[in-house]
Amino acid sequence: MNPQHLNASSLKSRFTRRFLRALTKINAQKPISSSSPREIFQRYGRIKAAADKSMANSVRSRRTWSRAMLWKLRSRSYRQASSGRRSAVKTSTTTSHQAIRKKTNHEKENKPTKTGEDQVGFVVQADELRELVPGGEAMDLCNLLDETAHYIKCLTTQVQVMKKIVDFYSL
Amino acid sequence: MATRSNGTASDRGEVEVLESLQFTDEIQHLMSAPTTDNAGFFTALLELPAPQAVQLLHSPESAKLIAAPVPNVEDFKGSFHFPSNSGLIERAARFSVFAGEGNNNTKKSNSPETTSNISSANLEKAVKSEPAESESSQPLVSDPTVEKRSIKRKDREKKVKESKKKSKTAANESSEDAEKLPYVHVRARRGQATDSHSLAERARREKINARMKLLQELVPGCNKISGTALVLDEIINHVQSLQHQVEFLSMRLAAVNPRIDFNLDSIFTAESGSIIDCNFPSMVMPMMWPEVQVNGNRQQYQQQWHFDALQQPVWGREEVCNNYITPENSLLSYDSSTNSVTLHSNQLKMEL
Repeated sequence: MNPQHLNASSLKSRFTRRFLRALTKINAQKPISSSSPREIFQRYGRIKAAADKSMANSVRSRRTWSRAMLWKLRSRSYRQASSGRRSAVKTSTTTSHQAIRKKTNHEKENKPTKTGEDQVGFVVQADELRELVPGGEAMDLCNLLDETAHYIKCLTTQVQVMKKIVDFYSL
Repeated sequence: MATRSNGTASDRGEVEVLESLQFTDEIQHLMSAPTTDNAGFFTALLELPAPQAVQLLHSPESAKLIAAPVPNVEDFKGSFHFPSNSGLIERAARFSVFAGEGNNNTKKSNSPETTSNISSANLEKAVKSEPAESESSQPLVSDPTVEKRSIKRKDREKKVKESKKKSKTAANESSEDAEKLPYVHVRARRGQATDSHSLAERARREKINARMKLLQELVPGCNKISGTALVLDEIINHVQSLQHQVEFLSMRLAAVNPRIDFNLDSIFTAESGSIIDCNFPSMVMPMMWPEVQVNGNRQQYQQQWHFDALQQPVWGREEVCNNYITPENSLLSYDSSTNSVTLHSNQLKMEL
């Protein structure tokens, strides 16, 4: 082990802190006897959401993908929490969904006219990438590549930290 | 060929007049030579006022840029010397219209029609980008005369701005400049349109290419692949695999830690030292779930975790707890009833 001083506010440490806090919260809520696969699956969903949320919060709103991810998570939690007010919440979320979809359709209409000029044949991959990267639907290729690079970086830190935690727990 | 002295700084005007006279003589001399390119080049030059044309050909930076291939570069630095038509063509081919203080671009006013094709939009762009470029360009020449010429060059460049270029170095360097500069000015290559729309498109494409290069460095194994479509495929695969890894790890976490908890405060108060980057020392027992190996192989994950996640509850947690406690009670003061593990936290602190 080489003791290196880690930057206290690096992405990794921020993510680790938040994720561990979220984990303890989750563990505190459902203490034990989660032996049924369904409960495990529920915990899995919560942990995954916690991981994504803590990652997106570590990035704040500096990136489009983090904003989109936070928005998605929050809308999902609102929907789960307030079933009574579901109609009201849904309308707001659906309208914003529609706004994004309209924008992407508009862009897609523009794309066939422009493909001869710019996007030299990787429109298909660009669309796939848009599906993968959260918030990627409403971005042009240039920003999409930017966001992808940052997203990859954050995903790798997330995977590293979670691997360490899992290794730690499993031993 | 008449060789001229460069003239002192004070006698700039007179010398330029003198040089211009001799220049026109030599140009006419060269015009008699049967070379079409040269003819085009020189008529283009002749369209310019003479002193400015002199500065075009006089520039010592172009001499420095050309370096090896033209041997009489050093002569050219101060004297106006036409060794051969081919030499001049080479120099002209690399001559930079963007002459700031020691420009790094080379330009060539290759054909007469290009000088007349210059749109005003490009001129404005060029003039504004030129001071910025002069900052970003590497100073090739420390000749003081260059600085004096640059002022006059700005006027001249307005006219010769959007000429078509042959040299690839110009294109490459202009692409770099287009990246650095706030003002988008891209050099048009030979045979390509020079209107503002295609220029903007070209700048955009270069931005995209630069970002693709960054992505290639991020994604392991992308450097060897050529072709943007394949690289994008690789990037997509990488993102998918990372997302699957996150899912798999969270599933493992969900299965693993119903009991284990740790004291966060002690960890984060003393957060320093060896943290995540260090390897986890194998100071504990081997894993409980030997099948589930974190080996980064996505397909193995997908096949295995279904099986394991369902099996783990069957094994029984108490069994696991006992296995934890017996060999490791020095490390883990683990208690199934309580939820805080202090030594655990120390270990985690070292890990994280």
